[in-house]
Amino acid sequence: MEPIGADIVLKTLLEEGVDVIFGYPGANTLPLNDRMADSTIRHYLMRHEQAAAHAADGYARATGKVGVCLATSGPGATNLVTGIATAYMDSTPMVAITAQVNSDLWGRDAFQETDIIGITMPITKHSFMIRDANQIASSLRQAFQLASTGRTGPVLVDIPKDILSARCGEQPKKAPKAQPKRIENREQLERIAQALNRSERPVILIGGGVKLGDACTQMSEFIQKAQVPFVTTMMGIGSVASANGFNLGFIGTHGNELANRMIHQSDFILALGARFTERSTSVIDEFAPLATVAQIDIDPTSIGKNVKVDFPFVGDIQEALAALLPLIVPRERNAWLERIRTDRQTLEEKLTDGGCGQAGSLIRKIQAAMPRETIVVSDVGLNQIWTVRTWQTHSPRSLLTSGGMGTMGFSVPAAIGARVGAPDREVVVICGDGGFYMNIQELATISAYGLPIKVVVINNGHLGMIRQIQDLFYDARFTTSDLGDRVDLTAVAKGFGVPAERVAVDEDPTEAIARMSAAAGPYMLEAMVDQNQYVYPIIPPGCSNVEMICGK
Amino acid sequence: MAIEEHTISLLVNNQPGVLSRIAGVFSSRGYNIRSLCVAETTNPEISRITLTSKAESDFTEKIKKQLDKLVDVVSVTDFTGAPSVQREMMLISLRLTEENRKEILRAIDVFGCRVIAMSEDYLIMEITANKDKTAAILRYFEPFGVEEMNRTGAIAVFRQKRDE
Repeated sequence: MEPIGADIVLKTLLEEGVDVIFGYPGANTLPLNDRMADSTIRHYLMRHEQAAAHAADGYARATGKVGVCLATSGPGATNLVTGIATAYMDSTPMVAITAQVNSDLWGRDAFQETDIIGITMPITKHSFMIRDANQIASSLRQAFQLASTGRTGPVLVDIPKDILSARCGEQPKKAPKAQPKRIENREQLERIAQALNRSERPVILIGGGVKLGDACTQMSEFIQKAQVPFVTTMMGIGSVASANGFNLGFIGTHGNELANRMIHQSDFILALGARFTERSTSVIDEFAPLATVAQIDIDPTSIGKNVKVDFPFVGDIQEALAALLPLIVPRERNAWLERIRTDRQTLEEKLTDGGCGQAGSLIRKIQAAMPRETIVVSDVGLNQIWTVRTWQTHSPRSLLTSGGMGTMGFSVPAAIGARVGAPDREVVVICGDGGFYMNIQELATISAYGLPIKVVVINNGHLGMIRQIQDLFYDARFTTSDLGDRVDLTAVAKGFGVPAERVAVDEDPTEAIARMSAAAGPYMLEAMVDQNQYVYPIIPPGCSNVEMICGK
Repeated sequence: MAIEEHTISLLVNNQPGVLSRIAGVFSSRGYNIRSLCVAETTNPEISRITLTSKAESDFTEKIKKQLDKLVDVVSVTDFTGAPSVQREMMLISLRLTEENRKEILRAIDVFGCRVIAMSEDYLIMEITANKDKTAAILRYFEPFGVEEMNRTGAIAVFRQKRDE
């Protein structure tokens, strides 16, 4: 039987190593869904297309492979948008496939027609509109290539239904051209090494690119040899184990005070895979005023985008680190390390609970009850800051969070993708009540597939971070941030078929946590916290990184 | 940083949607495209886009990197400040009267414009020149009552072969 476009799509996906698609069918995807019956690729039926995109994102973050989501034309495609933008901001490799109306209907405002290529142009690395069934394989291959190389990111492929149904020939892969890998501009690396060797108060800044570039092992080795303290961005957390003695924490608005102070005092910053967003630097003119900056990034547009860079290097981080390592001369910097030690001690005495109060203690107990290789997926808001400040990462792909986009509702669907991609690891979601509502329907997906995901909803009845900002900077006028306490989330979870219980965090949640971690299947823990539990310290808007405040 | 006019020339794949991606690079960063010329090159699969934009002096470097990232962009060339020949074309139509006819025709001759069409009381002329000159010519003719004016954006080539 001569294959149709849909067969070519599935065959090419298999060739690209795809084993899972997260999707939601529509009339225009049906040729593809129909042929899935004969394919080994598993299709996870989500309850919302946005969740399909987040699941593909979570899958990619947990595995390092390209995540794939599928939606139909019109509303299906537009529902992917938030998920694609989330992946774009955090450079997650993803291929989003959308079905389009028949090509003879284009531009006629047909039923469920939308220009998804136009809509997603600013949030994709590239996109393909397939106009001919014979282009399916080559476009898809190019999409995977683009998504997974350079600065990784989402690519969209839009395929009209008639092309999915069209008979077409096999489209064999041409032998790929060998691309010799070589480091250009080695002298620039030598200059970076010299500057680092000369520096008295150096700090390494690790961004999300270190994980994306699969350079975590090299990063640890480098730190060990150079004996240089490091800070991370929020996306860089986990690149090097939290317990590494050179770890100062993460910088920025909600970051660790020690990290913010030390990068401010540094005389040299070696930044890798970080773009210096305002969340990390605060007021840019006051950021690290004494430091010269070396920046290594695979994306030339990230270099010097936000800060002035003295030593730029465009290239693969893994290769750059390998080339830098032999050029580094370990040296004693006792005054600097001593200053860090003293500050660390002072800050720990000042902030005994890490600034996360009851919620921090809850998260510590959860981590203690779960296996070491557990993946934690945070949502956005207070729950996110509590999680990233508290969770001790042991390996790179163990803490997933929507950093750049800050997408509420990310956690539950991303956890589904993470668990599907890493079935041997436990997955815990930590979200707030606000974000939980945003993709609450995915409890149905968890339940239907029996995914043993543990969902912890830290419930304060409010949009907690908004409430904190209102409290601090809007004269405590709490408008539009009260979610109320009328909903019994445990009953909702049980209604979805997920066992659940409620616990008050100021009483001892240990037993409830033990029941959750012992559960063979999914579990939901609703952890009630007081609405006045915030996260401190915080940098007020318009202030620099060393102007963190610890209360009103 | 000083605001100045930049001229950028791109070779791009001759395909639907490419212009829209390029425009997006400018608009999403709040830059306005002041003029734009697009035409096929000797290779029908490749088009050349020449555009001008007013921005800070480090603009070209930043925007060039963003444009270079687009899959359909083959190359980006910056003409700003480089020795180059730039031309744009302008069409002007004027109402002629007994009083002004002589002066207008003399000026057309002096400026090196070409008369495209002319009747008793009406004239259309064409000017091909660099931007400063077209602007000066337009200023000169404006007091005579310009009925209509239309002009292309600039196109450019380097004066000599660049060092590779």
